Amino acid sequence: MSNRSGLQFSVMLMVWCCALLVKTSVGTAQNTIDYLVDVKPVLKQRCFACHGTLKQEADLRLDTVSAMRDNEILGKDSTLLMRITSLEHDVRMPPEGEPLKAHEITAITKWIAEGAVGPEDEQPEAAPKSHWAFQTIKRPAHGVPGGDMNLIDAYFDARYKTAGLVPQPAAERTILLRRLYLDLTGLPPTLEQLASTEKLPQVIANLLNSPQYGERWARHWMDVWRYSDWYGLGNEVRDSQKHLWRWRDWIVNSLNENKGYDQMLREMLAGDEIAPDDPEVLAATGFLARSWYKFNRTSWLDNTIEHTAKAFMGLTINCAKCHDHKYDPITHLDYYRFRAIFEPHHVRVDAMPGEADLNINGITRVFDGNLDAATYLHLRGEESKADKSKHIEAGPPAFLASEAWLPANPIQLPLRAWRPDVQEFFQQNHLQQAEATLVKAEAKLKDMKLKLAIAEEKHAANIPSSTELPVSGKIVFVDDFSEKQPALWEIVGNDFKYQDGRLSITTASLEKTFLRSKVNHPNDFELSLSFRTTGGVKWKSVGIRFDVDQSGINSHFVYASVADGGKVHLAHTVAGVDHYTNAVSWLPIQLNQEYTLNLKVRDRLINVTLNGQFLFAFELPTRRPGAIQLMAYDATADFDAIEIRHLPEGIMLKKAGVKPMTEVTPAQVELAEAELVLAKAEYTFALERISADNASLKGIGQGTEENARRMLLDVKIAKAQLDRLDTKTAEKAAEMISKLEGDRAAGNYPSYPPLNASSVSLLTTKNKDALPSDNGYPSSSTGRRTALADWLTHPEHPLTARVAVNHIWLRHFGTPLVASVTDFGLRAPEPRHQELLDHLSVELIESGWDMKSLHQLILSSKTWQRSSSNLGVDQNTRILDESNQDYWRMNSRRMEAQVIRDSLLSMGEALDLTRGGPPVMASPDVRRRSLYYFHSRDNRSKFLNTFDDADVFGCYRRSETIVPQQALAMMNSPLATAAAKQIATTFDTDLSREEFVRTAFLAILARQPNDSELTVSLSYLNKHPTREHFITALINLNDFVMIR
Amino acid sequence: MKSQYKHVMARRTILRSALGFSALALNGIMAEEESPLPDGKPHFIPKAKKVIWLFMRGGVSHMESFDPKPKLNKYAGKAIGNTPYESVLDPAKIRKLRIPIKGDANGVTRTKIFPLQTGYRKYGDSGIEVSDWFPQIGSCADEIAFIRSMWTSDNNHGAQVQFHSGRHFLDPRVPTIGAWINYGLGSLSENLPQFINIGPRYFDKKDAHYLGPAYEAVNLRIDPNNPLEYATPTNGMTSKDQLENLNLTNDLNQLAAKQYPLDPVIEARMKSYELAYRMQTAVPEALDLTQETAETQKLYGLEQPETKAFGQQLLAARRLSERGVRFIQIMHGDGAAGAWDSHSGLKSGHAKLAKQVDLPTAGVLNDLKRRGLLDETIVVFATEFGRTPGTQGADGRDHHAFGFSVWMAGAGIKGGVVNGATDELGYHAIQDPHYVTDIHATVNSLMGIEPRKLEVAGHKRLDRDYGHVINDILT
Repeated sequence: MSNRSGLQFSVMLMVWCCALLVKTSVGTAQNTIDYLVDVKPVLKQRCFACHGTLKQEADLRLDTVSAMRDNEILGKDSTLLMRITSLEHDVRMPPEGEPLKAHEITAITKWIAEGAVGPEDEQPEAAPKSHWAFQTIKRPAHGVPGGDMNLIDAYFDARYKTAGLVPQPAAERTILLRRLYLDLTGLPPTLEQLASTEKLPQVIANLLNSPQYGERWARHWMDVWRYSDWYGLGNEVRDSQKHLWRWRDWIVNSLNENKGYDQMLREMLAGDEIAPDDPEVLAATGFLARSWYKFNRTSWLDNTIEHTAKAFMGLTINCAKCHDHKYDPITHLDYYRFRAIFEPHHVRVDAMPGEADLNINGITRVFDGNLDAATYLHLRGEESKADKSKHIEAGPPAFLASEAWLPANPIQLPLRAWRPDVQEFFQQNHLQQAEATLVKAEAKLKDMKLKLAIAEEKHAANIPSSTELPVSGKIVFVDDFSEKQPALWEIVGNDFKYQDGRLSITTASLEKTFLRSKVNHPNDFELSLSFRTTGGVKWKSVGIRFDVDQSGINSHFVYASVADGGKVHLAHTVAGVDHYTNAVSWLPIQLNQEYTLNLKVRDRLINVTLNGQFLFAFELPTRRPGAIQLMAYDATADFDAIEIRHLPEGIMLKKAGVKPMTEVTPAQVELAEAELVLAKAEYTFALERISADNASLKGIGQGTEENARRMLLDVKIAKAQLDRLDTKTAEKAAEMISKLEGDRAAGNYPSYPPLNASSVSLLTTKNKDALPSDNGYPSSSTGRRTALADWLTHPEHPLTARVAVNHIWLRHFGTPLVASVTDFGLRAPEPRHQELLDHLSVELIESGWDMKSLHQLILSSKTWQRSSSNLGVDQNTRILDESNQDYWRMNSRRMEAQVIRDSLLSMGEALDLTRGGPPVMASPDVRRRSLYYFHSRDNRSKFLNTFDDADVFGCYRRSETIVPQQALAMMNSPLATAAAKQIATTFDTDLSREEFVRTAFLAILARQPNDSELTVSLSYLNKHPTREHFITALINLNDFVMIR
Repeated sequence: MKSQYKHVMARRTILRSALGFSALALNGIMAEEESPLPDGKPHFIPKAKKVIWLFMRGGVSHMESFDPKPKLNKYAGKAIGNTPYESVLDPAKIRKLRIPIKGDANGVTRTKIFPLQTGYRKYGDSGIEVSDWFPQIGSCADEIAFIRSMWTSDNNHGAQVQFHSGRHFLDPRVPTIGAWINYGLGSLSENLPQFINIGPRYFDKKDAHYLGPAYEAVNLRIDPNNPLEYATPTNGMTSKDQLENLNLTNDLNQLAAKQYPLDPVIEARMKSYELAYRMQTAVPEALDLTQETAETQKLYGLEQPETKAFGQQLLAARRLSERGVRFIQIMHGDGAAGAWDSHSGLKSGHAKLAKQVDLPTAGVLNDLKRRGLLDETIVVFATEFGRTPGTQGADGRDHHAFGFSVWMAGAGIKGGVVNGATDELGYHAIQDPHYVTDIHATVNSLMGIEPRKLEVAGHKRLDRDYGHVINDILT
């Protein structure tokens, strides 16, 4: 027996009982049912969507009693009752979901029995088009009463007068400065900044022009626009995309340049169409690339649709995926019209200058991959039920369509947009690689010939020889560590001293203290490091890292370790994980003895000597441009000198794994010669194919494809010649050569595909609708997303500016003007301050969508500058507007997760203000600003997470919870502990206790302690003189994490 | 007027958090004006107060655990189409599947019948059949209500998310049953979080979603040195130092409160510190299994290497539950998909995993019972889907969403009963089929929650999200 039929049975029973009840009470003429309380809400909840203002199925409206009477459904054999109580599936209303509940049916039954009385002046539901948020935004008709007064202040002053409210005075200056710095830069003011007497408007202007403004507000918009780094297994990308940081940097830069909000929207939605050959703009399309979802195209597009509509229009279009929207005039068809805008688009990664591996370097951007991709309506939202009888045209929701929507015009793309391989930097890169191979082959041959000559001479003279030639490379980097050289080194950590003409690492740590060169070392280099290991706990390892990339998580390193009887060892760090190689020499390393470690590196080959004694040669698996870094792992050490030189070609390195020099045979020389022929042919082919592309596609030069193909044949022959020297492949190679020679004679040259300068992110299944054809990328784009962007940013669009202003207001004041920040539809009641919202929206549009000027307007208002305290509040004001809807005081807000961490580092003068670049993994040792932390579904900072960090799936508004895990994080996390220590070191140790307390209060809370606070603090310090612990107490105060 | 002020503040700002004390959603962030927060009281008199939720990640074979199917032995090696039960392959019956990963090698129809890889026998007065891989659970059969007619609509491991939230993996993430319980009910403990997760997760590591971070599960580890993130000072303070330091913070917060009167945040913050400090002690204490007698430790299999890990988790669960933690969610089975995912070598894989969980699971049932705690605690034993009656490769079973088994025991639940059934091959749930949310509905009904009263404005729930109470298994 199913539960459902049981329920229906009980419903029927109830109706029957009620009928009896009604019958017996006829004539008492006393109404027990209140239509507005017991009936209308039920009808509204369950029936209005189809029988109200949105739709009038069967020409029936249930939103007024008179409408129901007119339709004669309330009569004696009430159709209404019959339909809501029917057990027949096709008859019962509502058709979807559960039947009405028993008590609801009872109420309706009784109400009808009592005469179906309703209010006399009952109005039907307003027409959706008359909804406030769908009206064109207009400047308030009566203008600003206050003349030159700030329009926000003028608005509220008028309100206070009418309502009899008395606002709070301005916050005291230091509190206000703290509020301002945190609001605009996310970093607290320093003591000097707090002491400054600069006028506030000037401070605001300066902060808006500081690069930290862009970083602070970028994080806000990253919430709204759903920034997320990629997630996946290994190199498999499942969610979002690699290199999305370029979009983050674009947001930061755009805000700092004060790019218009409208332009930002255009670039994010259609950067590939409006500036197809500008990587700076293409990066903006990361907004769309972020919704990439490997396993399902429809889920991917659902996210794109939902969040584009929510972020920019405050519309819940997503509710119309399966059926018409229940509350807003958005139809099921509208959903798929909106989808059609995005239907052709796809994600790809294009090469960027530098590293050629697209997994490591590149730009993620969108493009229209399949111009003919069809959009179909999915019945009940089910992908498998696509109605293929009808193609759906791209367009906005019909109720919002106006002349501002211009049909999409296909856009012809410039060459580099659809042939990224012919970009000049890429061609150059390709040529350089071919050239490098060639140079290497030449060097190898030279080396071989030299060795052969030496070997022959040795045989002739029968004397031992040395292959070491004198070192004479050009010096590129030298430091004798006699004094601190901030220009050369980035110094991380505090536990080091320059003393006695050398650098000493004084506390053994797991590389928490290190020096990293600010410049990269040459690719081929020789490095000598003189050092002494002075102590440590177990490993006592001292050495050098090279090829250290920007994030610091990839490098190679060679170190001398005192432990285990002593050794010199080569290892790699890949994505923060150490991998140890078998390149190791066991030899006693003594404490306090000077060693000189010498590294020679050419391409992937490295030779290591210690005090002039050759230890090992090794083939590095990878190389990358990078810096060097002094390392002391679980060791204290003195460093005496370091020197880096170019490695001249004349220096010969020992081959990996081959400790004694091998005899070179004439056969090896022959092999090297063949390799050189191949390298030359490949280089020539590279030149010719580029010339051919340039001639045919760019009209530059005389190259022809035929020439290139001829060269490719040479490459193939040279390759076969090389294979012929290997006995295993010799036979086949000989056949190949004769075939290829035949081809040459017949003029039969091979063809070749374009160079790989781009990679498309593929779904698990080949979804034909989304993929580009095999013939490369289309040379045009549909222009649909441009049409969308132009429509959204049209000055008459009723939603775009209102939604933007609401987000900005929320982040200045802590409460939004429209509570439902992602839903401006019919369920959003007319906001209390609609006039202000509209006025600010007009200002935004008319200023050219200038966000800095909007910030300026808000921050310079008295309204924003009010005290956030209730102290001395007018009692009447508090009673009339206790929840501060009229902003008679400022709202206190808790710092967002990022601001807490950045502030802790900043107060300890430990914050690294380096801007931009790939994300860094969260770690207590990383000092970059928090917005540069890796932020993905599976990989994010635990500390930030504790403080309500943005949900990567969508975060239109941060939560501000208070949970004990936050207290634990501030009490016990390594970050908080380190911060307290660092902050403590910023205070002069000569300060008296009282001076220390006063300065610490000012630095951390931006205010002086009052007498009681001073007394309590001093009595603690008398008992616990450790100043760092006092700082711990201060950063755990409510007033630290709150922005007052 | 004063009382009115308080009332407004309460509605607007005070939330009950993971710990059940006031967490604040400043300025009404968490609570839309239309949805006042639940008051933490049950909507009707509950039969149970706490839940211990055991989830086997990867998909346990229902035929080789709690729904034995002798016909699989009879027709072993035959194609399903050549048996009297060919109708199970009727396409109309399998259309409810929504396939998240098209073309995946797993999660497809397997038609060659794979015989049972273990025997089974009857247990207890009820005589319910349980497979030989779960003898200890079998011995508790008279305490257990077995549900043999579960179904879900995801043929891949995103079904783990679906089992907890009721929504398919392709749909937006919504709160899980544990988060709803946490949201709906007040705390029973002053010192401990009320929603705890132990063990690995992969497809969704969050529970609360739109309910907000205050309702997330707190992750605990069975590690005496590091049971909870940030629970040990790193600044060298002794416990006494730290207490005095916190007293200073507290004093200064109180003084600051004079400058910011009527600000509920300060008090909530102070309270959060008090509780954080208590939690630092309470969590390690609750997880200190050495306080248990040797006999109890043995009951959970702590002395055997195979059962030790899960046994520790379940003993910890009992201790936490005893101390008032509302919902303890224990995930068994490592790896992305989950260890139970036996596409090959089902026999050795399942035998090993069953060995890990069988004794400890029976242990927790028996231990709760003898302490009188089973009268107020529900134990749920679940998995995301079953496995195919047909063979995959040589010796495995694939994912199977159309019919599988879970069980429940404890407060308000009949023991020794079986609800629902699959067909002769274990293919489809044919009698009293239950979608995954029926388990949520049953848990809610035992805990005194009417889920429709917990709706959050702007987040419409569908009828299916609420499920139907499985009344037949209730006392």
